[in-house]
Amino acid sequence: MEHSEMEFIAEKQKVKIVPNFSMSKIYFISGEVGPFQPGLPTEVPFWLAISLRQRQKCVIHPPDWLTIESLEEIKEAETTTELFTPLPNTHFREMCQLLLTHAKSNIQNADAVRTLVKDIWDIRAAKLRSSSDKFIRVQAGHARIDNLTLMEINIARPFLLASLDHLHTLRTSKLHVERIVPTQ
Amino acid sequence: MDDTLDISGVSEEGEEQITSEQVFQQLEEIWVNERLSPNLMLCRTDITECILEQMQEMEENIARAKKTDLKVSLHQLELDRIRYVLSSYLRCRLEKIEKHAAYLIKKESSDGPSVSRLSPEEFMFAKELTSGVTSHLTASALKHMPKNLQTLNLEDSGKVPNLDHYVFLRVNKAEEGIIVDCETDVQNEDKIDLEVDAQHIMRYKLIENLVENQTVSLI
Repeated sequence: MEHSEMEFIAEKQKVKIVPNFSMSKIYFISGEVGPFQPGLPTEVPFWLAISLRQRQKCVIHPPDWLTIESLEEIKEAETTTELFTPLPNTHFREMCQLLLTHAKSNIQNADAVRTLVKDIWDIRAAKLRSSSDKFIRVQAGHARIDNLTLMEINIARPFLLASLDHLHTLRTSKLHVERIVPTQ
Repeated sequence: MDDTLDISGVSEEGEEQITSEQVFQQLEEIWVNERLSPNLMLCRTDITECILEQMQEMEENIARAKKTDLKVSLHQLELDRIRYVLSSYLRCRLEKIEKHAAYLIKKESSDGPSVSRLSPEEFMFAKELTSGVTSHLTASALKHMPKNLQTLNLEDSGKVPNLDHYVFLRVNKAEEGIIVDCETDVQNEDKIDLEVDAQHIMRYKLIENLVENQTVSLI
C-alpha cells in the first residue's frame, strides 16, 4: 500500500479541536460530530480537523503524548530494549507528521519534537532491518511482530514478503526434488 | 434547512439495525483485506450496496440544500473520501478478476452458491473476459496450428493466485492451534496460538478462513 493511503487511514483518528464558530450536530455517514461552540473543545476525526484548520475555523490541540518529555521517555525505552516498545498510537508516524504540519503553533518546541520523532523512527527502522535480516537468514516460516506500527510494516512489506515468498518456493522445490531423488 | 443535510444514519438489515458508521467501518476493513490478500475475497455486495445507497441519499441532500458554504463542503469532503474507498475496493477486485479469470470461474461453479466470490456482475465480466481472450488467441495463433494442438485450456494454463504468499496479520479474536509447518527435511509442525492484538507474519493459506470470518485482519 502507498504511504498516502496509510495517511488516509490515519486521518480517521479522533483529535481534539477548539472551534471558533458555532454549529449544530453534523450527521456524517461515518458518525456524528458536534455540536460546535466557540471556545469549547470537541473531538472530531482528523480529516475534518485539517479541513477546518485550513479554513481557519479551529485550532488543533496535539495529544498528550506529543511532548518532549514523553517522547524522550519513548526514545530512552527504545534504545535500551532489543525488541520494539509499544508506541502511544498505532499511527504514530503519520499522526506526528500531520500534527507537525497543521498544528505547529500549538506544539512547544516543534523543531525539537520533530527531531525526537525522527530519532525514534531511525532507531526502530534499524531494529526492523536487523530483525528482518535475521528472520530471512534463519528461514523461519512464521514470526511474531507485536508493537510494530502500520507505517513500519508498510515500508518493510515489499522486500520482506517478496523474499519470504521466494524462500518458500525454493524450499518447496528442494523438498520436491528430494522426494524424487532421495539423498543418501 | 439544516435538516435536509441530516441523514438518520440507520439502515436495517434483517432483524438487526446497523448504523452507517458500522457499515463504513466494515467497508474500510474489507478494503484493506482485499488490497493485501493474494486471493479474491468473498463477495460483499451487502456492504457495497448499503454504502452506495447512503452516498446517493447524501448527494441528493447536498443538491437540495442551499450552498451554505461550510456544512455542504464538509459533507462533500466526506463523500469524496467514501467514494475513494469504495472505488479503490472495487478496482482492486476487478484487477484480481482480470488476473485469475478462468480459475475463479471454475471455482465459482465448483464451490456452490453459498460461498460466492464473484457478484453476478463480476461473474459476467469474468466470462466475457475469458471468451474475449479465447477468441483472440484462437483467431491470432491457434487456428494456424496443426489440428490436434488447437485446444486451449485456460483454467489449467492460466494464472492461479499464490496462496503461499506471506502476509502480515493482526488478531481480532483469540484462536488456538494454527499449524505452521516449516518445510525443512523433517516435517516440523509447530502449533501457534493466536492471542488478541498480536501481530504475526505467516503464509496466507494457513489463515485464509480466519480472514474471511474476521478472526484476523491483514495489515
